[in-house]
Amino acid sequence: MSFPIMLFAGLDFPSLPQQLVNGLELGAIYALLALGYTMVYGVLKLINFAHGEVYMLGAYIALFTSWALGFGPGKMAAATNNPFALVVMLIASMVGCAVIGVLIERFAYRPMRNQSRIASLITAIGVSMLLQYGGTIFLPNSPPPNISENVNPYRGSIEIPIVPRNAALKAKELALLKVSDDDEAAFNAYLQRTGEGEFGVSAPGIPLRDAARASDRAYNQAKNAAEATGLVITVETGQAIIFGMAVLLMALLSYIVRFTPAGRAMRAVSLDFDSAALMGIDVNKIVVFTFIIGSSLAGAGAMMTATFLGTPLIPFYGLVPGLKAFVAAVLGGIGNIPGAVLGGILMGVAETLVVWAGYSSYRDAIAFVILIGVLLVRPGGLLGSAKVEKV
Amino acid sequence: MKTWLILLIRVVSIVIGVSACFGIDWMSHNQVAVGPGLHFAILPTNEYISRIFALAGLYVTLAVSLNLINGITGQFSVGHAAFYQIGAYLAGFVSLTYYGFMGLTGLPWLLAMMVLGGLGAGVAGFVVGLPSLRLRGDYLAIVTLGFGEIIRIIVQNVDKLGGAYGLNVSPKFQMIWLIWLLAFVCIAVCRNLLRTAHGLPFLAVREDEVAAAAMGVNVTKVKVVAFIVGSTFAGAAGALLAHYEGFINPGTFAMDVSFIILTMVVLGGSGSITGATVAAILLSWLPEFLRGVKNADGSALMLSDSSIIAALLATGIGVALIKRFLDRPPFKWRYLAVTGCFLGALVLKLVIQRLLNLSPALSVAHIEAGQIRMVIFAVTLIVIMLLRPQGIFGHHEFSLAWVKGIWRRLFPRRGVSA
Repeated sequence: MSFPIMLFAGLDFPSLPQQLVNGLELGAIYALLALGYTMVYGVLKLINFAHGEVYMLGAYIALFTSWALGFGPGKMAAATNNPFALVVMLIASMVGCAVIGVLIERFAYRPMRNQSRIASLITAIGVSMLLQYGGTIFLPNSPPPNISENVNPYRGSIEIPIVPRNAALKAKELALLKVSDDDEAAFNAYLQRTGEGEFGVSAPGIPLRDAARASDRAYNQAKNAAEATGLVITVETGQAIIFGMAVLLMALLSYIVRFTPAGRAMRAVSLDFDSAALMGIDVNKIVVFTFIIGSSLAGAGAMMTATFLGTPLIPFYGLVPGLKAFVAAVLGGIGNIPGAVLGGILMGVAETLVVWAGYSSYRDAIAFVILIGVLLVRPGGLLGSAKVEKV
Repeated sequence: MKTWLILLIRVVSIVIGVSACFGIDWMSHNQVAVGPGLHFAILPTNEYISRIFALAGLYVTLAVSLNLINGITGQFSVGHAAFYQIGAYLAGFVSLTYYGFMGLTGLPWLLAMMVLGGLGAGVAGFVVGLPSLRLRGDYLAIVTLGFGEIIRIIVQNVDKLGGAYGLNVSPKFQMIWLIWLLAFVCIAVCRNLLRTAHGLPFLAVREDEVAAAAMGVNVTKVKVVAFIVGSTFAGAAGALLAHYEGFINPGTFAMDVSFIILTMVVLGGSGSITGATVAAILLSWLPEFLRGVKNADGSALMLSDSSIIAALLATGIGVALIKRFLDRPPFKWRYLAVTGCFLGALVLKLVIQRLLNLSPALSVAHIEAGQIRMVIFAVTLIVIMLLRPQGIFGHHEFSLAWVKGIWRRLFPRRGVSA
């Protein structure tokens, strides 16, 4: 009886909606990546272990493009107000990743197509290791570079009030913010004038410093008091763009797969590789097409995370997201496109919830726990169907 | 007459092998100056080389035991490092806390720990295997992969086991001969299993599960037994690792260790015990060999970007050409053509490097050869898979008859058609 109460006692329920929103955004990225895994698996029955590395290379391509556009280290351009650089980076990442994906398919996977599946799998692991460790030689990685935030003109955040805050407390918060800012500015001006550091202030500066700290404390108290009265979800503009773009790309993908001749051919190939070839479908062309789409989705995801979240890039950048996206694809039923999206979203939400519950060191394990649980109950994944073997 | 001769040869070879291992132990730990002749042999005379020997032995055990699951029973398991880890942590923790329990010390204690690690991993193998072996092919692979990760993350978060820092295992036993003895026992068990009626169901399950079930094979039981035996050996190897190194941490058992063990199995030829053994020795030695590549004067060999790019390009082109020849129907000069491609790739590498050196940025040497060992490892893996997907040994085992067969094929007797 008391066990569930104990379990939920330490949880911060008012922040749950905020965490769910964060989880959706993370899940959208996983879904973009999972689509690449699931499509390649659907067509070739091959787990493309190098997909995470394509994602990593996409992030690096975005980085190099931003450098080429003048946001490089040393000669940093000022913050822009137009999204031109972002669009160029996005296109460069998608095109670059598509090219890389096709090259991997042509030179590593196609020669292995008639071989046993485990041999192709080892080749995929080899390609993945080659890209990772090759990256440690040829890509800038120490210190890990990140894409300058000046590239991004959308830096604010959107506040969505679910329960509005108490107006009087909010007004008090804003007033105190102004006082706090003024005190801070006065103290900073003093530091500038005398050339002293913040921790070595001489006697005339001490009252100023104490005033700045006191007003800051008062502001934070007022802010917490105001926040406790209402429920507001803060969505960073970058997160909103990631989610919106992901949904847009997935809609585009499902249009391509469902309503174009190439998409129909793709579905045919994934249903039965050999019969599709007999029916006059150019199978190689369809496989290349699949790799183009899957890899460019990964490129778009990589560019958006690297730009809007500003994560430092290392050659192992794609390892963990790749693994989780792969798990997401299996969770939803590998080879199944809506399943990949569902699995990705579930994976993202589950991960943020684990972090929210205070077990952040288990965030990488939860993916597999869910996966094993689902596979034991539904061996084909959530939306997939397990094949019955016939003799 | 013939039977006892074979028996004698076997006994003598075991005695020679074990005493060689004892000799390795003795020399490496007493740092005795050995005669000049022995320096040219591969006998290790320092800590570093004896460590490579020990790890090679552990990897042989791991690869051969995974081969039982993957190659012989055909169940695609990728989480072998998890069982290795369970054995290592169980034995390490017990040894740290209860050393000397029931008056056991020294070798008997180590043997007890080995058995304990093996049993622990075997139980884990049973617990994981029973439900997940209902899955097939890739799904089983994913579940075992996930299980491996879960074990690693849990160990990382348990403070009693040292968490992310790792566990210091206090009595250290550096007994290479025991490691190799374990490898030997593992090989013997797998080989003898295949020679008996108990082993045939394993092969039957690999070839066709449905047909095997129709023939009265208890498919689930066979799979679970293979899983338990495989993981038991991995756990015993883990226990020896913990006591050999004296320090283990979760990073020692990361996912790429599982991949490397899997690679050894596939590279050697899935299902071939000889192949797994040879590949395990080769792959544990290769990165270490590459780490130690030096110039003639003993300084570290430095490579330029141009040389690496040229090598990668030339390898790619060479492999593509060789594959073209191998895919065609056999013709008279096929092996000559393949050799020509190898040599051509070498020349091509020099030409490309000369061209690339025109750009000064690429020709400045700044990468130590040891740093690119993982790249070379990956390239080797891809190249072998492209040119010989069935692995080095295929399904074959090393035997006199096999050597004789190859000899006959290479040098056919005149007048006898092949």
